[in-house]
Amino acid sequence: MRRFRPVEVFAIVVIALLVIAAVVPGALAPGDPLAIHPLESFRPPSFAHLFGTDESGRDIYTRIVHGTGASLLIGLTATAIGVGLALVFGLLAGLGPRWLDFGTTRFLEVLFAFPGLLLALLFIVIYGPGVVTSTIAVGLATAPGYARIIRSQVLVVRRAPYLEAATVLGRSRTSRIIHHLLPNVSGSLFVLVTLGIGQSIVWASSLSYLGLGAVPPAAEWGAMLSAGRTYITSFWWMTFFPGLFIVLSAVVATMLGRSLQQRLRSS
Amino acid sequence: MKRIITPLIALASIALLLAGCSSPSPTSSAPVSGGTLVYATGDAEPTCLDPHVGGNYPQALVATQYLESLVSKNKAGDIIPWLATKWSESKNGLSWDFTLRSDVKFTDGTPLTPDAVAVNIAHLQDPATGSSTGYLALAKVTGVTSVDAHTARITLSAPDSALLDSLSQPWLAIESPTALKRSQDVNCQSPVGTGPFVVKKWVRQQSITLVRNNGYNSPPADAAHRGKAYLASIEWRFLPDSASRYAALQAGTVDVIDNVQPDTIVAAKGSKNIVHIDAPRPGASNRIELNSSIAPFDDQRVREAFIRSADVNSAITSLFFGTAKRSYSALSSIEALGVSDPTLFGYDQKAAAKLLDAAGWTQRDASGYRVKDGKRLELEFPVSTNQSIPAEQSLFEQLQATTKEAGFKVNLHPLDLSSWYAALGKNQYNLVSAPYTKVGPDVLRILFDSEGTKPAPSGYFANHAQVKDPALDTLLVTASEVSDPAERASLYKQAQDIVLSGYYILPLYDQQNHYLLRSAVKGLRALPSVSTPTLYDTWLQR
Repeated sequence: MRRFRPVEVFAIVVIALLVIAAVVPGALAPGDPLAIHPLESFRPPSFAHLFGTDESGRDIYTRIVHGTGASLLIGLTATAIGVGLALVFGLLAGLGPRWLDFGTTRFLEVLFAFPGLLLALLFIVIYGPGVVTSTIAVGLATAPGYARIIRSQVLVVRRAPYLEAATVLGRSRTSRIIHHLLPNVSGSLFVLVTLGIGQSIVWASSLSYLGLGAVPPAAEWGAMLSAGRTYITSFWWMTFFPGLFIVLSAVVATMLGRSLQQRLRSS
Repeated sequence: MKRIITPLIALASIALLLAGCSSPSPTSSAPVSGGTLVYATGDAEPTCLDPHVGGNYPQALVATQYLESLVSKNKAGDIIPWLATKWSESKNGLSWDFTLRSDVKFTDGTPLTPDAVAVNIAHLQDPATGSSTGYLALAKVTGVTSVDAHTARITLSAPDSALLDSLSQPWLAIESPTALKRSQDVNCQSPVGTGPFVVKKWVRQQSITLVRNNGYNSPPADAAHRGKAYLASIEWRFLPDSASRYAALQAGTVDVIDNVQPDTIVAAKGSKNIVHIDAPRPGASNRIELNSSIAPFDDQRVREAFIRSADVNSAITSLFFGTAKRSYSALSSIEALGVSDPTLFGYDQKAAAKLLDAAGWTQRDASGYRVKDGKRLELEFPVSTNQSIPAEQSLFEQLQATTKEAGFKVNLHPLDLSSWYAALGKNQYNLVSAPYTKVGPDVLRILFDSEGTKPAPSGYFANHAQVKDPALDTLLVTASEVSDPAERASLYKQAQDIVLSGYYILPLYDQQNHYLLRSAVKGLRALPSVSTPTLYDTWLQR
């Protein structure tokens, strides 16, 4: 095992803090994220309000901490949905008969033709805005990318000598998939997922930013960014801090994914 | 090399200096003809450029540039001549004669005649047109006949003290009867009027191009000049994002913006290159309407409790930076007959709690919301994001928070305009904020008469509070028929007392209407009728 590099330590510390904020937000910010103080609106960052206050006098630091759960959960769930769907499609294509591979691959290519965000928007238009639909939408939109990578991984692993050995030894198809194929695909998949979480957080924030995700007054980073945009010329802190946290969480997730990738390659 | 460059720089600097001296910037204040003005609107893009169809404010804003009405209003509030030079009411009040200008032609060459007026009134009253604003304003009109070549007679089923006010609005503008014969789709794309500009091109989601009407000769009586407009053309651009709108104004890529955010108004006041015009809209104040036709607001105590637990004043202080004044009236502050009663709308959580207890909402659930018979005290509030500026949407969020203390759960639903209309049509809303602009106190009849709960041909109904009070109906109908000013004022006062003390509405402030313009834009004014900007007298200083 190599020693941790400073960037990795940084990423792990930030992720740990984000997880704490998501699970027990009260520990980092004891205030109420929805409590309004109209007469203290638009206060710049100070010791009383680390990140300033918004248009209703709500403490932005408190709202960001309490919004972590929603933002991370959307990112994680969306990635899980995306990868789950991708596994099904990827395995079908990689292991199924040729016509199934052909059909699935063409279907994925059709989905690829749509930009991901457009696919998500289409889904939201049909099923209405909200946190649940936007999570599913982001999951759906990311699935084709994962599915294609899984398929290619499956094709590689399928021809590996140890799988041929397993076939010769008379292992059942299910057992081969579960004991040999999945574990060997999952290594690179795990890296992908870590990288994907960052992307999903950005996408989910984009949808909230467009008013298609979290509904008011929920504290969600994208929605906060959108609310602050109106005041960007007068009160910079309303957009700066939610934006910073979206970037930060996406960056640390990507950093972690990268270092996992390197470790797997070198081991 | 260096030896050559230095003298070159010196020469260039001298040349620049000389050039600077020889062209002093012109500062003359005489109007200059020509140029294109770019107007960036933050209002929704109309679906039809003919304000007869539907009839909302975004249509009025742009139609003011190419359509004209029979009469207008001056700053003092008097009705003044426009396409009609004279008018008179018959003794019994059942008919009005309008003398039309004899020298006016529509931009397609059709002359303005009494028949043209008749065709327009019939167009507004035809259910197929789908008019709501114009249709409601003409409810008493039974027909139009021509008395002679230049006199149109409008006949009524009952006297209408609001007829002149109604006719001054852009939604009742007079269009070319030849053009109205075309299909509605075509007419929506290129309506034809008598105005100072003509619709040339409409690129949806982008802009409308208007060009000068060179044969123009019919400005309203209070215009600053006669003859054709100064501007050669107008680019009417749709820029929904308020921050980009202001940035574009600062950069000089647009000349005028509307729907200005409060913080932007404050920022602009510090800039000497930007001028601010505040022109509150007439008619109703900006208010939240409480749907009294369904639970829980069918109980007056619950309505009062909601109003008492909503801290509107603090919200206005925090969000509007002193640019909006709290209203306690159903009518705009520019309406002379408006009744204002601050005592009814005081913020008082204790009183709210008492009222809710009395109404049977005694229990509270784990989140602090009131419960009665296993049902939570929940309110649905569809918000039209096109019609409410972000500061107003934040205000609703603050009211959501303060009424929560009393135990109300307000669900805000930000919606686009068509989904918002659909939500109202289903009658599943408890709260709604809908602007309604009309000249004069007769707007009360449209908003609170029980007739207003029935949808107009467009599907829109204006009585969102769903007030059905026979006594109120009688007052409003009588007020719209009497011509004695004192009696009319007294009737409107009684009517407003019923509306205010019945807690059907929570008044917020006047319908905000702020314009910012570059200081090079001269002569722009808001028409006193419905406060839409007219670019007829406007010119660009170079």
